[in-house]
Amino acid sequence: MRRPFRLGRPERDVDDELAFHIAERERALIAAGEEPGRARSRALERFGDLSRVRAECLTIDRDRDRARRWGAVAGSLRQDAGYGLRRLRRQPGFTLIVLLIIAIGIGTNTAIFSLIDALLLRPLPVPHPEQLVAVGDPRQTASLSLGLPQASLLSYPVFADLRDQTRTLRGVYASGYAQRLDVVRGRGGDVTHPRGRFVSGSFFTVLGVPAFVGRTFTAAEDRTPGGDPVVVLSYGYWARAFAADRGVIGGTLSVNGVPLTIVGVAPPDFAGDVIGQASDLWIPVMMQPSLMPHTPWLSDRSVSWLLVMGRLAPGVSLAAARTELTALVARSLLEHATATDHDAIEHMLRAHATPVGSGARGFSYYRDAYRTALLTLMAAVGLVLLVVCANVANLLLARAVAQVREISVRMAIGAGRWRLVQLALTESLLLAVGGAALGLAVAVLGSRALLRMGTGVTLAAGLDGRVLAFTAALSLGTAILVGTLPAFRGTRLALATALRTQGRSVSGPSLVLGRYLVVAQVALSMTLVVGAGMLARSTIHLAHADVGVARDNLLIATIDAQRAGYTGPRLLALMRDLTGRALAVPGVAAATLSEDGLFNGRYAGTTVQIGGFSARADSDTTVAEDAVGPGYFHAVGAHILRGRDIDAHDNETAPRVAVVNASFAHFFFPRGDALGQHVLADSATWEIVGIVADIRQNGIRDAPARRLYVPIFQATEGVSEFRVVVRAEGDPARLTAAVQGALSAPDPSVAVLDVEPLDSLIGSTIQGDRLVATMVSLFGVLALVLAALGLYGVTAYTTVRRTAEFGLRLALGAAPAAVARMVLREAALLTGLGIAIGLTVALAAAHLVEAQLYGIGLFDPPSVGLAIVVLGLSGTLAACLPASRAMRIAPLDAIHTE
Amino acid sequence: MQYDGTMDELGVSLTRGTLDLLILKALSWGPRHGYAVAEWIERATGQALLVGEGTLYPALHRLERHRLVSSEWGLSESNRHAKFYRLSAAGRQRLLTGTSAWQRFVGAADRALRATAPLPS
Repeated sequence: MRRPFRLGRPERDVDDELAFHIAERERALIAAGEEPGRARSRALERFGDLSRVRAECLTIDRDRDRARRWGAVAGSLRQDAGYGLRRLRRQPGFTLIVLLIIAIGIGTNTAIFSLIDALLLRPLPVPHPEQLVAVGDPRQTASLSLGLPQASLLSYPVFADLRDQTRTLRGVYASGYAQRLDVVRGRGGDVTHPRGRFVSGSFFTVLGVPAFVGRTFTAAEDRTPGGDPVVVLSYGYWARAFAADRGVIGGTLSVNGVPLTIVGVAPPDFAGDVIGQASDLWIPVMMQPSLMPHTPWLSDRSVSWLLVMGRLAPGVSLAAARTELTALVARSLLEHATATDHDAIEHMLRAHATPVGSGARGFSYYRDAYRTALLTLMAAVGLVLLVVCANVANLLLARAVAQVREISVRMAIGAGRWRLVQLALTESLLLAVGGAALGLAVAVLGSRALLRMGTGVTLAAGLDGRVLAFTAALSLGTAILVGTLPAFRGTRLALATALRTQGRSVSGPSLVLGRYLVVAQVALSMTLVVGAGMLARSTIHLAHADVGVARDNLLIATIDAQRAGYTGPRLLALMRDLTGRALAVPGVAAATLSEDGLFNGRYAGTTVQIGGFSARADSDTTVAEDAVGPGYFHAVGAHILRGRDIDAHDNETAPRVAVVNASFAHFFFPRGDALGQHVLADSATWEIVGIVADIRQNGIRDAPARRLYVPIFQATEGVSEFRVVVRAEGDPARLTAAVQGALSAPDPSVAVLDVEPLDSLIGSTIQGDRLVATMVSLFGVLALVLAALGLYGVTAYTTVRRTAEFGLRLALGAAPAAVARMVLREAALLTGLGIAIGLTVALAAAHLVEAQLYGIGLFDPPSVGLAIVVLGLSGTLAACLPASRAMRIAPLDAIHTE
Repeated sequence: MQYDGTMDELGVSLTRGTLDLLILKALSWGPRHGYAVAEWIERATGQALLVGEGTLYPALHRLERHRLVSSEWGLSESNRHAKFYRLSAAGRQRLLTGTSAWQRFVGAADRALRATAPLPS
């Protein structure tokens, strides 16, 4: 008897083989006349080094076994894949539908994940990003604070102290938003406004970013204010505005009227240190005074506008750096504090020390602003993918059932069940991978489209390794989810059929599993549709929220008079002149002034001292502030609760007065005696002459701050930019051109920027909400359609399966409508069960999107009602066709099929 | 590297290729176990090539690893379990090409070694 070759036990094989040889030789030697006692040692002698031969043979055999094992696995995989491909090609329609459904599921997930990756996860594309340390609040990427020196945003002198004194960082740079830049290329070219940042000379060297073309900045650019009129372009801006022409290096670009030499271009993957707001160009911070006359930001400690980034010195921990850096900022702030500011700064530092954290992912305003939105979308597309999986699993299941005969034949000729399961799983893996490949295309287009929807976010959301790994994991998970059930179910059915000698022909097995899958789809869709409803209703509430002013009638124009050289009395005269001209425009009901305006992201704060008020917390004395023109509250349509509006008599020479909002009055004067009291702020004393109802300033969701309004003609700080606020009699958008013209008339050099209706300013602050609501609704519809298709499939299948039964019932005199009702009843049962489960999940998970909600509770009856109606209707629609088919079954045919 | 007995480097590398060919040849008449292969080579070469009989086995296993021979356990003439090697189709092909290459090589080397003048004319 021959034994087969034993895989995986080489020791025994080799030992047996060699022992046989020695024994044979020993016998031969004895037969040739050798002494039996010596024969063994002679045999061994002739053999040579036994242990070496044994070891050598074992090494070779192990190598052989390894190669054969892999060969076997690869071989069967190849075989299965070939079989799967052939099977899929035989059913192109089925394959295409499944591929498309999976592509949508995986594509949407990859799209959202690529945004999450780009905004929340990915480190800056620089060497060793983990060594970077961010100093300051990384969200304040375009902030500017005048007045009390800040701890979360630094002034240039504080940065200089930090740079000169730090021992924990081995390189440090500052970067600050360059405000509006007027860029002109060549003579008489168009004025464009690219996004730029002022950076210290060490910016590129600390980050370790080399020039793509030309050079970057050097330490030399940090020495002389106004001394180095140079600029480095980003690759994107260079490609967009200069068609990637290397000839522009050495050329000049007029920025705010100052010619700057283009010295270099940054590499393609580097869009700056601010994630979500790609920089177009970088200018040495030493050029700030030249580009922005009358704004001495390099020497003024009251102007906080810079974020700071450094690299850890070798062996220094982030914690050690944090200890040193917060102390250095505190010392720099306190050493130079004026006597009046000293206490306020100490208070501020106690409440909020300078944030020092990892700078690996750069600075970002949008990271925080869009985190919840992105995670909400991720959850939504996750649900869509689950619906997709259930749907595809159902399709595969239906097909496995249809092919039960083929499978049972295979089992009969000896294919093991595991082998068939393996075959089925290989096929679903092929489908998932194919779908994922299509999905990547969906993702690239989808994420670009999302970014284009005008959220203001500029991101390089591409397919990097992390995104591809995510997609690969998704497709593997999808393959397992969609493949496992049909594979086991199909082979079990086949097993049963193979055991039975006679299979029944038409009816086929019931689809219990398929029904569960349909219930799951309906439930998941219900969850999504309820969520979409809640988000949509929140957006509607946001879009029509009462902000405390006549939001539908206001038009706000931003005026930059400082660059044209207006200061002091000339500036005040210009303000009065422009207000008058705006008022003269036909259709304008009122016109007034505001330094900060509304819903444009500007925030001004100050600290107040009030006689008789003792602060319990350091933040108690911080209030918001605005400087406003005569008749401001009347003009914007706010409600004066007590006292009076600011009026034309509150001018430079009149006693200082102020209006406070209700929050201010209640907080500081809980006994309701605010009128006539005095407030010390901005080194001056103001008498409260009016109390106004709270007005939302920047965000509808933000609780109104305690706010102090002072007359703009009495403001003690220099005003650089101001706004003319116009109330229109009708639609303010129609007055845009007329108001723009009127304001530009007196002096063309005064820049009139952004003449915009308040309603659209408010709209842009809720754009993210709107986007999320739209996307989730879209995903909800997608899931709904898939679920309806799934329900249709199962109902249709069941109807075919019960053809004989229905035929018999009809033959026995049942009304066709009764048969249709039976079909509908079953569909209604599945839908109802799905709706109930989905509703439970939605209610349990509602708190996860609480941050996205506005104006509705966690249980929102209208959204729930709407979802139930939509799901119910879809379910009925999906069941109608099979039901009508059941009604038309001819009794005789039905009986023949049995 | 370790050398066996009196064999020098040249001898070993010559023997490796030659031994492989001899094994394939030994198997060309049908499956044999290792001991029978050793016996055949010993007799056929007049004991000129095998230094230790053991050197045969790594060569056999290597041939099996490269699928030139396959192996099976069976019963020997003496009714014991023995591992039999069988020439595969690839092995038979290798024996043919190897033999003719070996003969060309030996002929050429032989002519060269018999040369009497510094340069062949």
